[in-house]
Amino acid sequence: MTVWLVAMAACGGVGAACAAAAPNNARAVLVAVFAIGASLCGLIVSVWVVQSGHPVHLATSQILPFNGVELRLDPVGALFVGLTAVVAIAVVIFNVGYSRGHTMSRTSACALPIFVVSMLLIPSVWNVTTFLFCWELMAVSSLVLVLSDYQRSASVRSAALWYAVLTQIGAAAITFAMVVLAVKSGSQSFSAIALHAPSLSPAVRSTVFLLALAGFASKAGAVPLHVWLPKAHAEAPSAVSALMSAAMVNLGIYGIVRVGNTLLGGGPAWWWIIVIVLGATSAVFGSIHSATSTDLKRLLAYSTVDNIGLILIAVGTAGLLRATGHPAFAALALFAGMFHLVNHALFKGTLFLSAGSVLYVTGTRDLDQLGGLFKRMPIASTIFALGTVAITALPPLSGFVSEWLILQGLLHGISSSGTVSVVLMPLSVGALALTGGLTAAAFVKAFGVGFLGVARSSAAESAQEPPRLMNVGSGLLAAFCVVIGVAPIMMVGLFNRVVLVLEPGPNSIVRRHGESFAIQNAHAMFDPSLIAIVLVVALGVAFSARRILSRHYSVRQAPVWAGGRSFQTARMTYTATSFAEPLQRVFDDVLQPSHDLDVSPSGESRYYVESVQFGTRGADLFERHLYQPVFSFVRVIANKARLLQNGSVHRYLAYSFAALLVVLVVAR
Amino acid sequence: MTDHGVIASLLALTSGVVLLGAALALWRRVARGIVNALRVQGLALGATAALLGLQLHNPLLIVTAALLVTVKGYVIPKLFARLIHLDPSSSETEPVINVPASLVASVFLTMVAFVATRPIVDSARSFPVSLVPFGFAAVLIGCFVLVARRKAVSQMVGLLLVDNGIGLVALLLTTGVPMLIELGGTLDVLLVVVVLRVLVTRMHAELGVLDLDALQELHD
Amino acid sequence: MNGAEVSLASVAAVMAQVVLCVFGAPLLVGLMRTVRCRLEGRVGPPVVQTWRDVRKLLQKQRTQPERSSIFFTSAPVVLVATTLAIIVFIPMITTRTIFSGGSDLFAIVFLLLAGSMSLALAALDTGTAFGGMGSSRLMAIIALAEPALLVAILAVAAPLHSSSLSVIVVGSLHHSVWIATPQRLLALGAFVIVVLAESGRLPVDNPATHLELTMIHEALMLEYSGPDLAFVVLGESMRFTVLLALLSNLFFPWGISTSLRAPSLVVAVIALVAKVTLLAVAIAAGEVAVAKLRLFRVPELLAGAFVLSVLAVVSSLVIS
Repeated sequence: MTVWLVAMAACGGVGAACAAAAPNNARAVLVAVFAIGASLCGLIVSVWVVQSGHPVHLATSQILPFNGVELRLDPVGALFVGLTAVVAIAVVIFNVGYSRGHTMSRTSACALPIFVVSMLLIPSVWNVTTFLFCWELMAVSSLVLVLSDYQRSASVRSAALWYAVLTQIGAAAITFAMVVLAVKSGSQSFSAIALHAPSLSPAVRSTVFLLALAGFASKAGAVPLHVWLPKAHAEAPSAVSALMSAAMVNLGIYGIVRVGNTLLGGGPAWWWIIVIVLGATSAVFGSIHSATSTDLKRLLAYSTVDNIGLILIAVGTAGLLRATGHPAFAALALFAGMFHLVNHALFKGTLFLSAGSVLYVTGTRDLDQLGGLFKRMPIASTIFALGTVAITALPPLSGFVSEWLILQGLLHGISSSGTVSVVLMPLSVGALALTGGLTAAAFVKAFGVGFLGVARSSAAESAQEPPRLMNVGSGLLAAFCVVIGVAPIMMVGLFNRVVLVLEPGPNSIVRRHGESFAIQNAHAMFDPSLIAIVLVVALGVAFSARRILSRHYSVRQAPVWAGGRSFQTARMTYTATSFAEPLQRVFDDVLQPSHDLDVSPSGESRYYVESVQFGTRGADLFERHLYQPVFSFVRVIANKARLLQNGSVHRYLAYSFAALLVVLVVAR
Repeated sequence: MTDHGVIASLLALTSGVVLLGAALALWRRVARGIVNALRVQGLALGATAALLGLQLHNPLLIVTAALLVTVKGYVIPKLFARLIHLDPSSSETEPVINVPASLVASVFLTMVAFVATRPIVDSARSFPVSLVPFGFAAVLIGCFVLVARRKAVSQMVGLLLVDNGIGLVALLLTTGVPMLIELGGTLDVLLVVVVLRVLVTRMHAELGVLDLDALQELHD
Repeated sequence: MNGAEVSLASVAAVMAQVVLCVFGAPLLVGLMRTVRCRLEGRVGPPVVQTWRDVRKLLQKQRTQPERSSIFFTSAPVVLVATTLAIIVFIPMITTRTIFSGGSDLFAIVFLLLAGSMSLALAALDTGTAFGGMGSSRLMAIIALAEPALLVAILAVAAPLHSSSLSVIVVGSLHHSVWIATPQRLLALGAFVIVVLAESGRLPVDNPATHLELTMIHEALMLEYSGPDLAFVVLGESMRFTVLLALLSNLFFPWGISTSLRAPSLVVAVIALVAKVTLLAVAIAAGEVAVAKLRLFRVPELLAGAFVLSVLAVVSSLVIS
């Protein structure tokens, strides 16, 4: 099995080299071939690992300094590798279609396979150096990809800058945490660290956890470290956004779980309370923004923040329950979190790729400019609709099952542990519910305004189906959403294996009971397949009832009621901005939008108006109140620091010399 | 819950209503509604005292209950009603913090009260003591009303909410032993309300409104 | 709770639920209208008027806005179908339902959401300003009602460690003292507000007027006519009835049968009809005294419901 791991890594390197050398028209295809090759290798290993339950191990002291490379793929890693592989396959297929219209540059063609392979490697590495190496590789290659369209607008460059800064701060925190662990336990290997970690002092353990949490949360996009995410995801090419949103942010969660559960072996309740609070804040904040955004990709990006929040709530609840002595319920919550992570990757991949199709054919992401796409591009729109149903957790698609499981985790959390969780659980349920409602509003807006109704611009008017391969890519992920939603029971074994590694102890309490989920110790039986079947039957009954009962079944096309006017133009219909207005008002304090009203009167009378322009701009609350002050502070410091730098080489040499002296004295 | 019997169940209910009254005072915008919330709270407090009296067979508590119902359920709301009648502009309160936000804040305050009183509840030997969080939460929400509402009427209501909460905590904790103290407290509050009313009337005469923001200017 | 127990009696019970809801729902709405009219001193239409409307609508031709798609034409069917699914799943007559795998409170919340979302999408599909307005308002209200609803569910589910409806109903039947506890009363308050908001009754929306600008539901269904409108009317009344049945069985479970024997099933049917009718009459009577809230005051109402439900959870933990 180790062969496949090596092949996976090799595919990435060779793919990057070949893609860089290939001519314009063959690049995307080559990237796809190699990325699919790497993904399939990864998929084969992970399926084997999950099936057999035995980890795959590979160590060599050659390639990297210090301890060399060590790979070890256990079921947890296998889950992430498999998921990344599935998403990557869909994305690169999509990308082949996309490159018909937008030729892939040499740099991005080179970066894409590296990005994919680094994400495949991260869950399978087993020592600190290799981990950090792959982490940086992922950060740099994704940064290059975000910058693909840097010539298009300044906002791309600004987004990339935000991403670069936050991801590097995160990487620094992770590096520090990992190095502390390695130094304290005297070895780089994760196994040795896990062995030594329980004997470390609580202060060290907590520092490590908090640093790692900060670092990984910045990658996952949890509030307040999420600021890069809506910018980078919106500005990157859609294939890259899909990869980042459906695969890369997961690795942030992977890191938190790996450090918290495997390396440190769990921790005190307050660690996990922080995680829950982070999660609840991200969920609510992300969903408020996604419910009020009018930029399709920005909306999806904020919805990633909110889903990551939900996953963090589940992971935090699991940790809290374990810390308070309820390992069985902890396993339930973790099960739910991992399930939601997989579902989120699948539906968010679907949605980002479909948004990419829309962008490809219309050239705009602005929902206010779209509309009526369903009639012009039915296949792509249907795929987006499937993603919508999945993400709003409607039966019978995938989101429904995992949200139900998270709610079960919280329900059992409340009745089984101490004061704090009693307080946190209802608030988490409230946060989850608000998130659910706002997500529904956000996606009714995204689909209803963007795809249904009337075309609001000539670009939307002239839309047509995108190249077939784009639909194949997004459709592949949508198919997974449907299958997992209708028959989630087949995933039980997989997740139980994964959870067993993270929460060693009693067998998971989520069981198969015929076709339904049964939660042991509790009277909960839940059968998503049954719900799906009943829904389909009910639909059939209702449909035929309408057919049988109505005397004239044929439909007459009729003009709409326009308040008595005889005509109605697309400009009179509700746009995304107007759709979001009630929620915008309700969450005014969070969004703090600034309105621009520009009225130009016609001629001499100010009562006759020539044109009115209304716009709302809302900067992210955290960006304005947390980051801007920091930036201005940094700017002040930087201006002071300029005094040190006057261009004289002698002075620079003097600095170096002084530094050398200090080092010699200090490290004597 | 199952083995505590009807009185305990009702006791839990009335304590819950005291807390609900506090939340209602935040919820309603109309001054009349806020005063009604206060009345509900006063009646619930009286009922709590009566129930405790029944449970402990303490006639003094029944007397207290009667007094509480009269003063808090009738006299004080009446005074407020006349005050609102005096100045129609105070019939709608102007929240400093908007209503949904203050309601969410009240949720947090309830949680805080719950966490803070956990030790008391855990060491509770009798059932009424385990209801202390309700009273404590009412106190905190009362304080919040003082902070978050602008009009003089709602300020006074906030004060009374705090007093009712403290009253409930005292009743539940001491299960009615030093009732004299509680009686004294109630009379004190009545006195305070009367004094405040006089002040407010003067304020109305001087400024024509009952808005505390109008008092910001200092006079030499 | 065992899985499926398929017997003649259980099938009969489910069929009875469906028949009661489908045929009773328009009557219930008609009854509420009559009660309201009588209290206001008017005669009002007969109770069966809603059924007559439906029958008349079924005779007419279907129309569809020029630029709309399948989302418009299928929404009434989806609304009715999701409601039918809920009717089949929840225990109204007996706690031993066939489909216990679906009788879960959280699942029902998502099924309700599916119905509302299909209507909201259909309204956007018409491509009119009114449709967009109704859709936008509906989604805003639903989004804000959701926390109150789920936390209220948590309050009734937490003491029994289960979100399964049968378990909750049986549990509250066995502990009759529980019915008057503060947590249940607070949760009931939250539930009532949410039910009113979800089904567009006063003070959130006024079902009695038909002015497209001020309304939520009226704006949503403005473009429907003929059989489609009949289905929307039927679906909305069924939804309201189901919500009332759910409410009555969660908080006043008296009379529901815990077995599958015929006499107790008959008693349960009578009790269900009585409870739901009483609730509906009470709501109708309450509506006479209430005015519609401004749209932007509705969040305050729903925030209040959320507070009630959180207080319910907290009190269920204080008094345990």
